[in-house]
Amino acid sequence: MKMKKFIAVLTVAGMMAVTAAGCGSDSGSTAAAATDSGSSWDAASAITVVSREEGSGTRGAFTELFGVVDENDNDMTTLDAQVTNNTSVMMTTVSENEYAIGYISLGSLDESMVKAVKIDGAEATAENIENGSYTVSRPFNVAVKKDLDNAVATDFMAFIMSTEGQQVVSDEGYIPVSEAEAYAGDAPEGSCVVGGSSSVSPLMEKLVEAYGEVNPNASIELQTSDSTTGMTSAIEGSYDIGMASRELKEDEAAELDGTVIATDGIAVIVNQNNPTDDLSVDQVKSIYLGDVTTWDAI
Amino acid sequence: MSNKTTMADKFRTYLKHPGSFIVMLLVMLSAIITFAVLIFLIAYILVNGVPHITPSLFSLEYTSENASVVPALVNTITMTFLSLLIAVPFGIFSAIFLVEYASRGNKFVEVIRLTTETLSGIPSIVYGLFGMLFFVNALGWGFSLLAGAFTMAIMILPLIMRTTEEALKAVPDSYREGSFGLGAGKLRTVFRIVLPSAIPGVLAGVILAIGRIVGETAALMYTSGTVAQIPESIMGSGRTLALHMYNLSSEGLYMDQAYATAVILLILVVGINALSSVIARKLTKA
Amino acid sequence: MKSKAWTERFMQGVFFVAACASVLAVALICIFLFANGIPAMSEIGFIEFITGKEWRPGSEMFGILPMIVGSLYVTAGAIIFGVPIGILTSVFMAMYCPKQIYKPLKAATELLAGIPSVIYGFFGLVVVVPLIRSFGETLYRSGIVKNPGNGNSILTASLILGMMILPTIIGTTESAMRAVPAHYYEGSLALGATKERSIFRVIIPAAKSGVIAGIVLGIGRAIGETMAVIMIVGNQARLTGSILQGIRTLTGNIVIEMGYATGLHREALIATGVVLFVFILIINFSVALLKRGADHE
Repeated sequence: MKMKKFIAVLTVAGMMAVTAAGCGSDSGSTAAAATDSGSSWDAASAITVVSREEGSGTRGAFTELFGVVDENDNDMTTLDAQVTNNTSVMMTTVSENEYAIGYISLGSLDESMVKAVKIDGAEATAENIENGSYTVSRPFNVAVKKDLDNAVATDFMAFIMSTEGQQVVSDEGYIPVSEAEAYAGDAPEGSCVVGGSSSVSPLMEKLVEAYGEVNPNASIELQTSDSTTGMTSAIEGSYDIGMASRELKEDEAAELDGTVIATDGIAVIVNQNNPTDDLSVDQVKSIYLGDVTTWDAI
Repeated sequence: MSNKTTMADKFRTYLKHPGSFIVMLLVMLSAIITFAVLIFLIAYILVNGVPHITPSLFSLEYTSENASVVPALVNTITMTFLSLLIAVPFGIFSAIFLVEYASRGNKFVEVIRLTTETLSGIPSIVYGLFGMLFFVNALGWGFSLLAGAFTMAIMILPLIMRTTEEALKAVPDSYREGSFGLGAGKLRTVFRIVLPSAIPGVLAGVILAIGRIVGETAALMYTSGTVAQIPESIMGSGRTLALHMYNLSSEGLYMDQAYATAVILLILVVGINALSSVIARKLTKA
Repeated sequence: MKSKAWTERFMQGVFFVAACASVLAVALICIFLFANGIPAMSEIGFIEFITGKEWRPGSEMFGILPMIVGSLYVTAGAIIFGVPIGILTSVFMAMYCPKQIYKPLKAATELLAGIPSVIYGFFGLVVVVPLIRSFGETLYRSGIVKNPGNGNSILTASLILGMMILPTIIGTTESAMRAVPAHYYEGSLALGATKERSIFRVIIPAAKSGVIAGIVLGIGRAIGETMAVIMIVGNQARLTGSILQGIRTLTGNIVIEMGYATGLHREALIATGVVLFVFILIINFSVALLKRGADHE
């Protein structure tokens, strides 16, 4: 019996000690990282290049606009680049790693975690994209079947392109595409399914809520998946409206009518301790091609 | 066993067998590592999540403002219940077949074993794609809780089968012989004698299965869909808590709510585990 | 009497049909996977697909050798961390654990199984990745390795996966050990063996089939895990010789790119699923063979 008690005490004590040590060492290391980083930024350290996955709308737009391609327009992003398919993983990685560089949708940028660098002197803001000084952007597309006969879907599309809809777009930090007229729909009854790209989804969610106010008769279901599922499901008919954060592929465009509903900027992000504030297109390009591998070599 | 051995006795034994002592240390060390990791992980979730649990998180309707978990919570419970409803009878019946009915060395038994092990090794994303092509498209169910539940049922089937099988095997043959001796038929023996004594083992499998269902994202993304509301019927689409969390976190806009959701998910798992141990106690007593 | 015999037969049939469900499910999954994957493989060229070192779908280059190697590395790592700790912990749970703390500990391991993989991923990203990064830098400074890596590495993924497979291994192994009749253990003690010797020489061998089942389930979970791994392993589709470097796994390849893939790219991803599937078949067959060998001893 004594033995058992002894083991019990030992175990509990051990667990506590290890937990405490674990917590202690962890908070210690983060604290240490936070304090050294300000003073000991080591520019000779290797750059951790973080990229989105092949085929992603964000990556497609990024490689094209920065010229991270070969003469045949093939994506030549260095194979040493880390890859993620998730915006928050991208942001967390860059905020945890002082020497990392990545890129995300401007709408998701959280300045308390990471720093967006200027490209050729232009800051990544909606205004700069609209006036053309910041050029890194991509379209948000929605697509419907060519012979769509869902009154709610048609009316919702009209709403998105109306003044009210485009107001939501700019309120959310995206760039509106048209100077359209006010919404004048007849608020039809019924339901429709919208689904696709997770990049477009946060904006679409706001649009659906705004539409619910002008047309309480309709119910709209929002599915979040990805661009390709959005397009294929729109073709198959399980979605009435598909969303994509990339251009429509040829075989998709044959079956669907695509409409650009907004433009989204792409921000190039670095760690907040990184002294770099401004990069040129060529510098970003050489980092992503793998020609430059340390921060001091830029 | 060791009730009468004193510390000193133990100590002397270990002096004589240093190997045993090292092994004992290793066992203790491993247990400490496991539980330290566990405590650390749970503390991490709580620290990040608890401050963000707000009343608005429990609104009945989901909107982009409140990121409510209630619809996802209801969907998770429905999904768990439906999947278990499909998988548990199949799992238990197959295990009964394998242990009680199939003759030893039967080729078919080996085929079943192999397929079960294969099932348990298939990655969830493959289940998701299969579910989408088969249940959602080929059977025309659309993105629905039912399609999700069937996909999950196939996924947890091997877990339930294996644990039930092990539990049935552990029931001593004397129980069966005693029952036969009293004139009970095979079916009666299985359902009245063997299965009840195997209930705790079966339940262990069910708990593991529930853990998998509530934690699953990849397979459900493509089958039950991602609508953040409670569907009108099981043919409607709805997302579970884990999927809800994945969606909240994926664009980096709702990280705080995602962690809060994780806390609720943990509480749910604790609740389910507690409930099942209560049921187990009731069942074993009866 | 007659009706009773009829129910017996009927229920036997029901049990048989239930047992067939898993076979049917595997058959369906097989048909679906192969029908979608084989055409892409033949279009790319089987050998080129399996042994190609470059994966650049945009340039029509589909080589999955790095991913195959990646999955092997990461799974092996998870086994190295997870299996010994898992088995030893279940020994603790079954044989050493004082009654007073058994219940909370047991509930805790069950809880570990219910934590969604996304959480493990973020935990890894925020806690383990920085630790491994500073570990890598320490090794680099002392000249043991040439490249410090950046924390998103095979080692990180192995650690997290090792944690994730713990509940599966503990659950199955513990119940298998408890199922060993008590007189085995008592007999061994009576013969003068120490507690530890009795556990490792008598109980574990007797519980072998359950222990192996637990490990196989654990391996299955490790190979199949995606959501957590893709957050911490770096996902670089290239070969590497260092465990401090990142790599991409087969499952990661599917999940990361399936979202946007179309045409041949999508089919190549399904073909990646086929390779994964064949892998799992190979593992299961070898385990089955191993077991049969052990049973004949």
